[in-house]
Amino acid sequence: MDLQWNGQEQIAAGKAAVWAFINDPAKVASCLPDVLDFDVKDSHNVDATVQVAVGPVRGKFKFAITLIPSADQSHMDLKISGGGFGSVVDLNAGADIAENSDKSTTLNWQGKATMRGPVATIGGRVLDSQAHRVIGTTFENIKNKVSAAA
Amino acid sequence: MTTITDELPERHAMGKSMKRKEDPRLIRGKGNYLDDIVLPHMLYLALVHSPYPHARIKKIDKTAALASPGVKAVITGEDLVAAKLGWLPTFHSLDQQMVLAIGKALYQYQEVAGVIATSRKAAIDAVELVDVEYEPLDPVVSPFDAIKDKILVREDREAKTNHIYHWQVGDKDKTEAELAKSDVRIKERILSPRCHPAPLEPCGAIADMNRATGRLTVHLTSQAPHVHRTAFSIVTGIPEDKIHIISPDIGGGFGNKVPVYPGYVVATVASVILGVPVKWVETRTENLTCTGFARDYHMDVEIGATKAGKVTALKVSTVADHGAFDAVADPTKYPAGMFGIVTGSYVFPTAFAEVDAYFTNKAPGGVAYRCSFRVTEASYAIERAMNILAQKLGLDQVELRRMNFIQKDQFPYPSPLGFVYDSGDYEMTMDKALGIIGYKDLLREQAEKRARGEYMGIGISTFTEIVGAGPGKNFDILGIKMFDSAEIRIHPTGSGIVRAGTRHQGQGHETTWAQIVAEELGLDPQELLVEEGDTDTAPYGLGTYASRSTPVAGAALALASRKIRDKARKIAAHLLEASEDDVQWQDYKFSLKGVPGKSVTMKEVAFAAYTNPPPDTEPGLEATYYYDPPNLTFPYGTYIAVVEVDAETGAVQVRRFLAVDDCGTIINPMIVQGQVHGGLAEGFAIAFMQEIKYDDEGNNLNTDFTEYLIPTALETPNWETAHTVTPSPHHPIGAKGVGESPTVGSPQAFTNAVIDALSPLGITHIDVPLTREKVWRAIREAQAK
Repeated sequence: MDLQWNGQEQIAAGKAAVWAFINDPAKVASCLPDVLDFDVKDSHNVDATVQVAVGPVRGKFKFAITLIPSADQSHMDLKISGGGFGSVVDLNAGADIAENSDKSTTLNWQGKATMRGPVATIGGRVLDSQAHRVIGTTFENIKNKVSAAA
Repeated sequence: MTTITDELPERHAMGKSMKRKEDPRLIRGKGNYLDDIVLPHMLYLALVHSPYPHARIKKIDKTAALASPGVKAVITGEDLVAAKLGWLPTFHSLDQQMVLAIGKALYQYQEVAGVIATSRKAAIDAVELVDVEYEPLDPVVSPFDAIKDKILVREDREAKTNHIYHWQVGDKDKTEAELAKSDVRIKERILSPRCHPAPLEPCGAIADMNRATGRLTVHLTSQAPHVHRTAFSIVTGIPEDKIHIISPDIGGGFGNKVPVYPGYVVATVASVILGVPVKWVETRTENLTCTGFARDYHMDVEIGATKAGKVTALKVSTVADHGAFDAVADPTKYPAGMFGIVTGSYVFPTAFAEVDAYFTNKAPGGVAYRCSFRVTEASYAIERAMNILAQKLGLDQVELRRMNFIQKDQFPYPSPLGFVYDSGDYEMTMDKALGIIGYKDLLREQAEKRARGEYMGIGISTFTEIVGAGPGKNFDILGIKMFDSAEIRIHPTGSGIVRAGTRHQGQGHETTWAQIVAEELGLDPQELLVEEGDTDTAPYGLGTYASRSTPVAGAALALASRKIRDKARKIAAHLLEASEDDVQWQDYKFSLKGVPGKSVTMKEVAFAAYTNPPPDTEPGLEATYYYDPPNLTFPYGTYIAVVEVDAETGAVQVRRFLAVDDCGTIINPMIVQGQVHGGLAEGFAIAFMQEIKYDDEGNNLNTDFTEYLIPTALETPNWETAHTVTPSPHHPIGAKGVGESPTVGSPQAFTNAVIDALSPLGITHIDVPLTREKVWRAIREAQAK
């Protein structure tokens, strides 16, 4: 099952602050909704355990998260793969980062997920809105945390 | 001479609606189902499944699972390979099947490892801790993609192709020539979609290896316990005398409990390793995703006919999706089962059928879901195609059938595809149905509604089944001829015990077997205990599926009874102090010819068999019979559905449904009616609700009862039933079998009714299941044209 979403966040902080935040795997992991714990592997990789509830599928999913920043500091790719309860989730998200004239930053994000197993089938009826909520909340949390720190 | 009647003769025990002897215990919760059985020191097995439909297995790390509380063992495919138990022969004998995935996972939810623990919860928790590293591969999901051989499902096979077999029957050249020159020709791709028997009780096993005796007892949800004993012996190498299969009460089978499944084997291996009983009971999701599915036949059906509507030729070319293994439950020499019944109830001067089967990255199966080996697919194809032809010709669906029926004086009828139909009077049965339903009035009503723009449909199905596998010369499973057996012991006081090689799962054998024996011997059916399912006590039989119990074991019961009666006649002559030639069996007792009033009952004979046998006769009164039928039986019927379709929503309301069945001699009308009701409910589900669908990535989308629907009393229509009786001339009591007729015969009646309703829009076919969405879309597309 393939799902795609996109969205936009306006962050009341400069591009440098946003870029620094999303390059920190611990900070990115902390923005995942319902994150239970995470383990930073290196400057680009973090393993996170997340409480997932998609329809009747409820439990802990383990995800490996990899941050892939672009050299020109305008784009960040985010690869999230893992699963639980016999399910597999591969999520590829990307965000274009652009500074606005008022020194705020616009984050245009898009995500594409491939899901297999019970999460795709049992949870299929509610999966799209749930996954949209998860990824949307993640970027919203990024916005809130960066803005708060600014 | 075959007697055809719609009246039941008055008899001693047969033909009576005796209440089911098994019901008092079952409805009081005193049944003994597999999951009710708890043995001392029993462990529990849970299985790890592949989330990928196609993936290489790079590594399996058991460490964390083994460290989990209560876990006793973790078994992988490689472990089984080391024990030479990695592969399992399929019943079909043309393929083998991985027990647990070896090297590659070939379908989503394939069994990859087994965890054995002290409780079911501990085993399920530890399943999460088995760390399997996969390398995902592109799957092949559609059989039409499998044909291209771009992705190879089975690397283990010598032939590097997804093509499994080509099977054909009939005269291809003649059929194509006749089609080419026919006045009218129809061609339609008709799908009999992948569905699942989904018995309410899923499959399970308790393997119990007793190290002291060296004996393996397996409690098994088995429709064929003796075949499973032989299969277990072949797979494990354990001598057959050291294997004891007990099939306890079964909560529905419908073909799903015929194959051997990985859970059975892993539980057995675990019990052998650990020396304690190991229980495996699958979840609903495991049942729907792993164990035997049914159908998945994509059939291109062509009929040629004259302008007047006389059919001249039939050609059916099928692409069959068998999933990752060729694990169909068809007899060895019949890879496409009895698909040759596709000519149905009609006289086709020539016909040709072919099936090409392919591997895909989907669960294996192809079991006969309440159907005798691909008969449902065949029957659906011909009954649907006849209606498409009627539509093209502008003929009434009833009149087209009447014009093409095999006539009653043509029986035994050799079909162009090789079967010899035993008996039937299709016109009589159809006319009875038309009379009950009030066909002419319905046509009038339909015309009025059409004039008002309403969509009312009448659908007919005049199907012929083929059941009772089978003559041993043609049919076998694992090389074992498809006979069946009965053993009867009459006790001194005239009660008795009856055992058969079949295994009922709700069919009512405990009652009907007693009725057959009681009828033959003049005994009380309430005093005959029927036992099945224990391989230590029951005679060897091939089991219960494909409507074969009554045609085969039922015949064995009658003939074993007659053996007893032959011996009883000697004892009766001794008691009557007469010559055996002067003793006759009349009115269910032995009497002296020409001497009214001088008689002895079977009870008196039974007592004498143990207390006062004739000097030259061995004591006791028992017999065994192994029956190899000379032919199959051909039950048939006329089913009529009346529907209303809401063109705004696509909703279909089944207003009436009538089933007039002819299953030959009826043993217990109430049980037959119950069988028909149950089968119609399943046929209704197939027509409107059920399909196991996969998305393009190979995800199974119907993994529980929220996505794979079972009809409840809310949706299920009210069934009207009736019967005609055309005995099978070769069966000892004339019975033909009925368990599967309603599932075989009804889906096309529903579909024909819906298409009939929508025919003013020019719609000629919609594949089942006829969901609201599909019907709605078909209406919208037709209206847009």
